[in-house]
Amino acid sequence: MSGALGLVWRLLHALLCLQRALLAWLRGRPAGGPRSWLWRRAASAAASCALLAPAAGTFAFRKAGAARRRPGGAAAARQRWRLDGRALQKLPVHMGLVVTEEEPSYADMASLVVWCMAVGISYVSVYDHNGIFKRNNSRLMDEILKRQQELLGLDCSKYTVEFANQDKADQGTNGFPDPDLVLKFGPVDSTLGFLPWHIRLTEIISLPSHLNISYEDFFSALRHYAACEQRWGK
Amino acid sequence: MSWIREGELTIIERFCGNIIKAGPMPKHVAFIMDGNRRYAQKCHVERQQGHSQGFDKLAQTLRWCLNLGIREVTVYAFSIENFKRSKEEVDGLMDLARQKFSRLLEEQENLKKHGVCIRVLGDLPLLPLDIQELIAQAVLATRNYNKCFLNVCFAYTSRHEISNAVREMAWGVEQGLLEPSDVSESLLDKCLYTSNSPDPDLLIRTSGEVRLSDFLLWQTSHSCLVFQSVLWPEYSFWNLCEAILRFQMNYSALQHLRMWTDSYSFWNN
Repeated sequence: MSGALGLVWRLLHALLCLQRALLAWLRGRPAGGPRSWLWRRAASAAASCALLAPAAGTFAFRKAGAARRRPGGAAAARQRWRLDGRALQKLPVHMGLVVTEEEPSYADMASLVVWCMAVGISYVSVYDHNGIFKRNNSRLMDEILKRQQELLGLDCSKYTVEFANQDKADQGTNGFPDPDLVLKFGPVDSTLGFLPWHIRLTEIISLPSHLNISYEDFFSALRHYAACEQRWGK
Repeated sequence: MSWIREGELTIIERFCGNIIKAGPMPKHVAFIMDGNRRYAQKCHVERQQGHSQGFDKLAQTLRWCLNLGIREVTVYAFSIENFKRSKEEVDGLMDLARQKFSRLLEEQENLKKHGVCIRVLGDLPLLPLDIQELIAQAVLATRNYNKCFLNVCFAYTSRHEISNAVREMAWGVEQGLLEPSDVSESLLDKCLYTSNSPDPDLLIRTSGEVRLSDFLLWQTSHSCLVFQSVLWPEYSFWNLCEAILRFQMNYSALQHLRMWTDSYSFWNN
C-alpha cells in the first residue's frame, strides 16, 4: 500500500515539476513574433489553472507588451522612469534583491540596480546565498556603471553609485534603513538568511527569475508593493 | 479537547494526506494566523467573533497537523505591537486568552491523553497578572508531555526575543560564566525562547500579506515561506496540503542550503 502511495506521490510531484517547467517555457517565449498573443493567452490560462497557483506576492508571467520598445533615447527613459517612481503611492527607500538561483547574472542584476536608481530608490542590497555577488563585487560594479551609461545616458553625474560593501571587520549595515521591500528571484521559497533582523516588516515579493528580467516585471512588483497595506500591528 | 478539535479526517482527506506523507514532511510548522478582522468584516460580525472563529480554526488546524504527523506547531497569537490596538479589542483578546487557558486547565485528562506540551513564548510580564498565572499553570502542567508540542507566541516579537537572548549572553560573560569567545550563533539559538525546538521547516502566513511581521526572524531564515491569500478563519485542510506540497517542492534545495549553512557555522564558531 505504501509503495502505491509513494508512486502516486512521485507522479504528483512530476506533474507539478512539469507544470513549473511549462510555465517557465511559456514565459520565456519571445514576446514578439507570429501569434505571440496566442502564446501569452496560453501562458495566462496555464498560470491561472495551475495546481499550487502562485501564492500572494508571486508573479507568474510577464505582462503582455513587455518588449515594446519605446522611442526617445536615454533622456526620455530617465524622465519616464523618474515619473514612474513618482506616480506610485509609495516607493521603497531600501530595496533588497535576493537571488535564489544557482547562476546569478551580473548584467541582469546591473539592470535591476540601475532601474532602482532611475525610479528613485536610494538604497539597494544585492544578496545571494553563496556570496557570489559579494566576492565579485568589482565585476558587478563594472556592469552597473556600464548599464548606467547604456540606460541613463552619458550624464551619470546625477546618479552616483556608492558601494557600501561588507567586509569581515565591519558587519553593520552602514546606517542603511531597514529594507522596505525584498524582490526574491528564483524557485526557492525562502529568504536564505538575508538580513534576518532587518526584515521584520519587509514585504517579500517573489519573481520567477532575474534572468532576462524586464523593466515591466520590475515595475509590476513595485506597483504591487505600493498597494500593500501596512497596519503596524494596529 | 477545546484546543485540539476532536475527530478524524474524512476518507478523501485521509487518502490525500497519505499521498502527501509519502514525501518529506515538515516536523515543525509555524503559522501567522492573519485575517480574523477582515473575516469578521466580510461576514458582518464583530471583530471579537472573528478572533473567536480564529481560535476554533487553530483547534481544527492542530487536529489536521496531528493527523498528518506534524508534531510541533508554533503560532503567532499576539504581538507586542498589537497592544497598540484599541483598548476594547485588546481587552477582548485578553478575555479570549483567559477563557481558553482556563478551559485548557479544566481538561487535564485530555492534555495527558494527547500528550501536548504547551509553551508560551513572549514578554509575559506585559500581560495581566491573572493571565500570566493561567499560562504558568498550563505550561507547568504539560511540561513533561512529549507526544506533540504547541508553542504559542503571546506578547511576542522576534526582535524582543533576540535582544533578550543577547542580554542573557552579555550577563553570562559579565558574571564570568561565559568567555566572550563563547558568544556565537549556536549559543544565541540556545538563549532564544525557542531553544527547545528545532527551527520551523515551514512558515505559513494567511490573508495574503507577504511579510514576517517580527515573527521568528532568526529561526525562519532558511525555512520554506508560504504566503496564502485565504483568511485564517477560512483555512482548510486543502490549504494546509498546498502549503506542505510547496514545502516538498523546496525540500531538496533547502536541505542542501541548510547543510551548507550548518557546516559554515561549525567552522566559524
